[in-house]
This record gives sequence, C-alpha cells and structure tokens, in this order.
Amino acid sequence: MLKQKEGGRATFVKVGLASLMMAIGSSAFADEEIERGTLFGDMQTVTQDMLDKSAGDSNNFLHTNGNYEQTRFYPAEQINTDNVHNLEKAWTFKMDVVDSLETSPIVVNGTMYVTSSFNHVYALDAKTGKAKWHYQHEMGPITTYCCGPNNRGVAAYEDMLFMGTLDAKLVALDAKTGKKVWETEIADPELGYSETMAPTIVNGKVLIGTNGGEYGIRGFVKAFDAKTGKLLWTFNSIPENSVGVWAENDATGLYMHRDIKAEKAALKKLGDPYKTLGGGVWQNMAIDRDSNRAYFVVGNPSPDLYGAIRPGDNLYTNSLVSVDLETGEKICHFQYIAHDVWDLDAVSPPILVPVTNDDGQTVKGVLHGGKTGYVYVHDAGDCSLIRHSEPMVMQRDRWVLPTKEGASMLPGANGGVEWSPMATDPGQGLAFAINLHQPMTYHVEETPYPDGKLWLGGAFKVIPTEEQWGNVTAVDYNTGKIKWKVKTQHPMIGGILATGGGLVFTGEGNGLFKAYNSSTGELMWQDQTNAGVNAPPSSYNVAGDQFIVVGSGGNAQLDYKRGNEIIAYKLAK
Amino acid sequence: MRYSNFKHLILITTLLFTGYAVAEEDKYSPVREKLETCFACHGQNGASSMGAFPILAGQEFYYMYVQLKDMKKGLRESAVMGPIAASLEKSEMKLMAEFFSKQAWPETNYTVEAEQATAGKRVVGAGQCVACHLGDLRGNSRVPRLANQHPDYLLATMLDFKNGVRKNSPAVATLLKTFSEQELKDVSDYLSSYSE
Repeated sequence: MLKQKEGGRATFVKVGLASLMMAIGSSAFADEEIERGTLFGDMQTVTQDMLDKSAGDSNNFLHTNGNYEQTRFYPAEQINTDNVHNLEKAWTFKMDVVDSLETSPIVVNGTMYVTSSFNHVYALDAKTGKAKWHYQHEMGPITTYCCGPNNRGVAAYEDMLFMGTLDAKLVALDAKTGKKVWETEIADPELGYSETMAPTIVNGKVLIGTNGGEYGIRGFVKAFDAKTGKLLWTFNSIPENSVGVWAENDATGLYMHRDIKAEKAALKKLGDPYKTLGGGVWQNMAIDRDSNRAYFVVGNPSPDLYGAIRPGDNLYTNSLVSVDLETGEKICHFQYIAHDVWDLDAVSPPILVPVTNDDGQTVKGVLHGGKTGYVYVHDAGDCSLIRHSEPMVMQRDRWVLPTKEGASMLPGANGGVEWSPMATDPGQGLAFAINLHQPMTYHVEETPYPDGKLWLGGAFKVIPTEEQWGNVTAVDYNTGKIKWKVKTQHPMIGGILATGGGLVFTGEGNGLFKAYNSSTGELMWQDQTNAGVNAPPSSYNVAGDQFIVVGSGGNAQLDYKRGNEIIAYKLAK
Repeated sequence: MRYSNFKHLILITTLLFTGYAVAEEDKYSPVREKLETCFACHGQNGASSMGAFPILAGQEFYYMYVQLKDMKKGLRESAVMGPIAASLEKSEMKLMAEFFSKQAWPETNYTVEAEQATAGKRVVGAGQCVACHLGDLRGNSRVPRLANQHPDYLLATMLDFKNGVRKNSPAVATLLKTFSEQELKDVSDYLSSYSE
C-alpha cells in the first residue's frame, strides 16, 4: 500500500476506505469486534492480540486513550442518547492522596487500574469499586516538575503494569498483586526530568517520553524491554542540528515576527542549542501496527519565552514526529510553530483515523489538537499537513512577541487544547476537543541556563481582570469546519470520551461531569461531583452493564478544587 | 499477657526506640556543632520565632540543600549565610538539610484581614503559584513550602527576587518583578496565614 514518491516521501495512494477502516478502527470494524470482544473477557492476561483489537473491545478499556489509534471512541452503545438521563453513580472509590487527578482508568477483565498524584496505583474491582491492592512508589528526595505532582495512568501487558514516576523512574508491577517486579531510571531528575504520562506498550516494548520542557532538558522517547527494563532504543526529540528551515509562518500561515537575521548571528556565536533545548514528549503516542510506526508530538523549547539564546527553528519542538517502532529512527515530522516563544507546545495525543485529503481520497490520517486552538489534520504517510480546522478559541494578537512589561495574547500558554486528549467518532468524522479561553501576558527576560532549575526565560501571567471560560468543540476533520461548540463556565482541562451511544463525556473544573449528544452538542446529562473533573473518562462493561468512569480530583495547573475520587456510573435499573 | 512478659516487652521497646534515637543522633553528629550555630537565628531545631529568619523545621530537604549550594556559589547573596555556606562541604549541607526537613513545622498563628487575603489570593492566581508550590502551598522537593512561613521573611525574600538581589531562581524573579510591592505584601500576609 505504501508507494515511494519521487523525492523519497512515502504517501498512501488510492487506499480503499474499507481496508483503511479495517486497519484503524472504523465503526464497521468495531461492530464485528464487539462480538469478538466478549470472547476476550475470560482472558487473565493482556495479550498483544487484545491490545491490537482494543478499538472494538466493548468489555475492556486497555489503553490510556482506548486503543492504539487513540480515538477515545468506545464502541458500546448500552448507554445512549435515549437513556443517558438514567445514568447514576454505581460506586465511588476514595484514594489516599487528595491532589491533582489526571489518571486515565484502564480496565482489564473486570479489574480497573488507576493512579493518583505522587504515583500511587490502585487495582479495583470494576463492578464494585472495592480495592484489590494499593501500591505506593517510594519517591526519591529529588523531583523536578511543574504543574502538579500528576500521574496519568499505567499501561498493561501480559501480567504486568508499567508506570513512569515523578522522580523519572519506570516501574513494572505484578498486575495481580501490585508487587514491584523491576524499576529502572529513565533520566536524572536533578536535571529536570520527570514522568507524568502513562507509558504505551507494544510488542514487549514499553515506550515513554519525558517532561522537562521548562527545565532545559533534551527530550526523548525511550523504549524499554517489558520483561527486564533494559533500554532498547532512544529517540532524541532534539537532533544535534536543530536549526531547520528558518520558517517565518506557523502551520496556519500566520507570520511569527522572528528576527531571523539576529538568530543567524546568534547561531554563529552560540552554536546549536540542542543540549538544553527542551522538547519533552509528555503524552502517549499513537501506534500504527500496519506500518510499525509511532506518532507523537513534541513539546516546547527551553527556555519557554527567551528565544534569543536558542536560535533556529528548534527542531523537533512543537512538532508531530513519526518513528520506526523497531529502531526509533525518525521517519517524518511536521513542525507547527518554529522557534516558539509562547509555550504553545504540541502535547494533546495524536489520533490515527482515515481522513479525506484535498484530492478527495481517503488516506490514513493523523489528528492533533493544538494549544493554538486549531485541530491539525495530517497525512500519516509523510506527516504533511492536509488542513487545519477553524479556530476553536478566540485568537487575539497571536504571535505578538513577549516583552519585559508583558504582551497580552490569546490563546494563553495553557491553550487552546492543553494536554487533554481529544476523542473522535469515526462514523461521524468528528473530533471532539476541550479548550481554554485564558488570556495571558507574556514577559521575557534574558536568562542563562540555571542547571536544572525552572527555566522560563520570563513569565506567564494570567490576567485577573479578564474573563476566562472554556468550550467543548466538535470539528469535522474532513472539512475543518466546526460542527458545534458549547461554552463552559471555566477553562477546560482533562479529556473527553466518545461512545457508540452517540455521546461524548467530559468534566469541568467546577465538578460537573457532563454528557453531550455527539452529533449536536446538546447537553444530555450531568452530575455534580465533589472536586474538579479534570481527567479523561473511560468506559467498560462488566456482567452486562456498561460503565462510565472518571476521576474527580481537581487540577494543580488551573487550581481547580482538589479531591480523591474515582467515580463509576451506570444506568439505573 | 503475664506481667513479667509485659515488662520485657516494655524493655525491648524502650531499647529499640533508644537505639533508634541514638542512631539518628549519630547520623547528624558530624554537623551537630554547625546545627547549633543555625539554631541561634533559626530557632531550636529550625523552628524560628523571629520574623526575619525563615522557619527551616519541616522545610523541603532538596530545596534547603540547593539553597546552601547556591549561597556558597554566590547565586543567593547573604552577608550572614554566605560565609557560613562557604565553609560547608556538600555532604554537610545534605545532612543539615535532612535534619531540618525531618522536624515538625511549628505553629505560627498569623492572621490576615479578609480584604488583604483576597488581594493575596489574586496574586497567587495570577502567578499560577500553586502549579509549583502545590495546592496547599507546602511545596515539594526543590520547591519550598510557603504556607505559614514568617511574613517578614517572605516579603523580604520576594523583594530580593524583584530587585535582583536574589538570583538563584530566575523564573521566580521575573514573575515577581511583574507585581507591585503592595501586591507582594498582600501575598506575604496571605501565605503566612494560610489554612486549608
């Protein structure tokens, strides 16, 4: 199916829609797999076959974002637009730590695995919420992280679980007992490395990136052997030549006011800044099992606001990158914002779906929700941009350069779309994103590398006198048009889930957890919880009942009310 | 349980705890004399009761270790602490920081007027302080506890950041330069009186 074009760029041509859908999780494929999914239910361990077929598995929720394609589309339709008003709490589990809660629950054969801040892991009976075991990571004395002591979940493979920790370790646990099997250091926390993302696992390789874009790290994705913890390969998200093409416009074509003459002079004087250029990869990668490739997005350059010290495009910061899963070698990349000085990094996990290109052909596509507030649509073959959506949030003075006194701009440094994963409904061709409207002032100050300390090269400030809000937006990714948009009381962070029942579920900082009609945006149901709902929801089936589960524990970054609850909902009998 | 057995249990428990205390004592004996020097200003075991001297008891280990290193390097200038830190080896800094981090944070009982608390809270929101200092403003690892620290010290050190005297956390310095002295006063008072 892959055809080499002149110039060596590989692209998908004349690919049949049906075969693509089979490959990456269409609704037709899902229907078939729902039947087969019930057969998986007796399996006691997570096999590669189960992981591969997770897009159609209506019993389990095996990946952080539902499946390797990261669609966050759960095919079951027991809970649907007709009956969602009957949704009620089935159980609530209280964790030990009351702090920022960003976990993505995964569910394996009736057992749920969730994490809390400071790297606690719990195994719960998914039907009752009763704890089976609890693991607390023994944290080292040195941790370096911004934005809360978060953890976004574990990955499951065979009879093991894998978690990254705040002190930059990778820990493997026995899934049945919670006992530690092995632990290895991913990177040195004293230099600014830490882990909050859930790992991704494929073919016995545990894939994980790193935080640290605010500390002058050199970002990476690493692959570890699941059995032993041995490092298999490292992809440095910052190449030794990070200069690029001196791009003047961003991915939407907007001029970015770069002083390229000054940057070239600085490059001559300072050399390539790659060693401390940041570029964390701090959310999960999408996996294409057919081509054996991973797709991930790379975060902001360091220091965030002071660009003069890091001349060039700062590759591959703020980019979509695809690598070969066997070797970690780069296959292609696309940079959204060259030489970013606004911390508008790429972080929301990319999604693999069939998309229509400009020639009307259906090709394997990649979606990414940007902090800019746009959804970007790529050709998965060569990472090229097919289109971007209409802006989902107000744009005001975008790319005004930071000043000492502070320059006001929308979006603020939290987005647009923050780390929050999007969801899609492939049948409707819609991507669902949650957004922030949070104006900020951007201040710049000359700052040399401070040896692993917070390195912003300035400051971001929320403007207290300006109103903030959020929205939930549905984008037709085959046209780029916004289909519907719903305003929310507060800026949104956490994630969203779409289901075969024609619904999307997402929570808010005020503690409301809501279901919308995925076709229209109509509010169908809501529940008031005790803390901010700022974590991605999941869904699963046990003994014939479909559940929706979400964490209610607030958020450090936006200072939403903290809590410690995992809440599961099902239909009233 | 028979009385004699109970006596034995008490004896064993006492020995165990005494042994533990001795072991802890021994651990810090290389820096005991230097700790006594610290107590003169920072109070017994770091529980300072004088507003100009920060509470060290219960402060984050790694934060205090980094501060001592920075004072030795001159990144954090202090006429008093500079020469003291200059005389310390890294191993001594670690032990001293560990000692203070293991003490209990003392009661301070500062209060603040509602209006000033609101103003202070606004500064915390605008600066997104909780993103690093966490929701209870008690810090973690390399980020210090601010809650219930002495307001005089908080204001003085924030002004040092603002005025370029304290250079060892450039991101904080830039942020604090964007606030007025009154705002820093408000937030100092708010933080010192913080309660969940």
